[in-house]
Amino acid sequence: MAQEPGAPPLPSPAAELADSAGLRATVFGTPPQDMAALPEKVPLSEMNITLPWRLPLPDVLWFDGKLRVWLSAQKKPAPLAIVISGTGSDGNTRKLAVLRAVLYGAGYHVLTMPSPTFPGFIVSTSSTGVAGDLMQDGHDLYAAMVEILAHLPRKVRITDVDVLGYSLGGANAAIVKSIDATERKLNVHRVLMINPPVSLFSSVGRLDKLFAMTIGAGDEDVELLYRRLYAQLANLYRASDRLEIDEDFLLGAAAETLKTDAEFSAAIALSFRIDLVDMFFIGDLYAKTGVVIDAKHPPKVGDSLDRIQRILRDQPFSEYFTQVFAPYYLKRRPDATGASLIAANRLDIIGAALRADGDYYAQTSSDDLILDKRELTWLRDTLGSRIAVYDHGGHLGNLGDRQQVADMLDMLAGRWPRIEK
Amino acid sequence: MKAAAFMVAGLLILGGCASPTATIRTVPDETPAADNAAATAVASAFAEAIATESANAAAQNPRAARPPVTPEDAPSMYTYDPWERLNRFTYRFNARFDEAIFLPAANTYRRAPAPVREGIHNFFGNLAEIDSVINHTLQGRLKYVARSLERLVINTSIGFGGLIDVAAKLKLPAAPTGFATTLAKWGMHPGPYLVIPLLGPSTVRGGVGFLADYGTSYGINVAGFYRGNVSWGLGVTNAVDQRANVGFRYYASGSPFEYERIRFLYVRKLLIEDEGLHAHASRKKAQAEEPAGK
Repeated sequence: MAQEPGAPPLPSPAAELADSAGLRATVFGTPPQDMAALPEKVPLSEMNITLPWRLPLPDVLWFDGKLRVWLSAQKKPAPLAIVISGTGSDGNTRKLAVLRAVLYGAGYHVLTMPSPTFPGFIVSTSSTGVAGDLMQDGHDLYAAMVEILAHLPRKVRITDVDVLGYSLGGANAAIVKSIDATERKLNVHRVLMINPPVSLFSSVGRLDKLFAMTIGAGDEDVELLYRRLYAQLANLYRASDRLEIDEDFLLGAAAETLKTDAEFSAAIALSFRIDLVDMFFIGDLYAKTGVVIDAKHPPKVGDSLDRIQRILRDQPFSEYFTQVFAPYYLKRRPDATGASLIAANRLDIIGAALRADGDYYAQTSSDDLILDKRELTWLRDTLGSRIAVYDHGGHLGNLGDRQQVADMLDMLAGRWPRIEK
Repeated sequence: MKAAAFMVAGLLILGGCASPTATIRTVPDETPAADNAAATAVASAFAEAIATESANAAAQNPRAARPPVTPEDAPSMYTYDPWERLNRFTYRFNARFDEAIFLPAANTYRRAPAPVREGIHNFFGNLAEIDSVINHTLQGRLKYVARSLERLVINTSIGFGGLIDVAAKLKLPAAPTGFATTLAKWGMHPGPYLVIPLLGPSTVRGGVGFLADYGTSYGINVAGFYRGNVSWGLGVTNAVDQRANVGFRYYASGSPFEYERIRFLYVRKLLIEDEGLHAHASRKKAQAEEPAGK
């Protein structure tokens, strides 16, 4: 998004939320040359499972009826690592593929799962249809894991179960272990949270702020961003003398297009907003809150969703909370208040377990934009020596690099903190 | 009778009636080490290429003389889709067909040894060079006419009938094109968005181009490949090979807005490619109220 003629400059507000290196790392991730050693081959199976408690399948979401997870199984008995994806993401993202590769290479069976905020999960697995409640999502995840393990082929022999996740998936992983402490159906051993939020609402609030500061709040601001991007890509394409736009062009164009803090921030904010649009739509549909969907006449397969998408892309998370999430849960939890719902979505609801149980671990970066200083301090104080805080990496920008992978494997194997010889 | 039974079974699968509680299917192995090595190579090659291409463009390319595209020139965010209802049903049909038949076939094919798949891919790519030669000629792009012709001659002869892409090793990379691009070069606008059964997202211009490309191949009928019984086998193999080389999966996004997002991206990609085709012609002035593609 280098400056185009006639376009006002993007504001550059990100400095107050994260530093430049952190933003760049968040957008581009670990450079391929810095990746840890990866195995030559990783076998992969796809499991599609219909869960017995699934809510009625809306016509417009006909394709999301089954939960889809991915398994890489060892041929011999091995520990199982269950990996949960980040906000809005499915069970086979590039980040999950990296974690799968290193974990499989280290001798684990690996099961990768979508985030409870991924549309396919909300529809196939959620018992409410309204995503974002840490404990409720944790219960749904836990029940799904139990069901999945019951359907694994007998030849997959499991010696131990560890759960890990990145971003929101990290918090989900910790909640799953806390549920397992009472239910004991999985016997989860260790948990690793990679770049977790401490407060879901405070983290997404920061992302919403980023969106408002770099893109704007209205439809015309989104249109302006689109026009800038279009012009930039068209000029790059014309200069490239290529015959068609392919993946290589887009990868290179991203590096050419995203260069300033404001541009990195806009990319991060936009990516989150796209996930939120899906979550909002599905929540409104199931909760029958009538924000964008007429509860009596929900859209069908052939109906246009343009109008709904246009409305939803202007809506921040706070609107999802006040218009869908809070009305739904307040109706079902008579003692709850708006403030108590927010408080229930902080990791400190399991603070005591995180402090006392030596099998919870975490990795994060001091420049992760989803954490403020107080939250980072709380994580350090709570986990003590069981957290590794890197100086750089932003949000998941060092996932897969040599140091992150070496530390992750040591944590999962109980070799952490390392004793220096 | 047999055909009817197959049809009923097919419809049941497409209709999603065959749904046991859990299904596990093996998909091709991942190759992370090789993929990462390739990503490293691509990243450095692209940085180099962009720098060289930008320098060349400024020095030699007459397109660089055109005023740059400005945000005001961008088409509307909305896409011309007068047949949306039909398109949406076709999209769903394609998704079900892909999930039940096309993708499993492509995954099975991807288990074949890499040299075999590469040979098949090269073979069909070589056949397509004939269409590319014709269309580059119609587009007046002589540089690419020469390249496609050279590739056809080299690969057909010393590449064993196209099984080995010798030309690429001689730094003559493929430059595929078709009649849809020729129509674009001649100034035809994409027209309404159109989801074509089995093929996927397109436009009226793309649909006409596809039919013309097929007609050309059918008319020329190289080595008798495009008519008679052999054409079915080759057609299916070509389709499976093409599917195996495309990473897209229907509804992997899980999103209720997938149709809108694919339509948006597909039409913008097309319009940006059109920008590259019209070296001297004046650009159609974007109208904020007019949907893109109209």
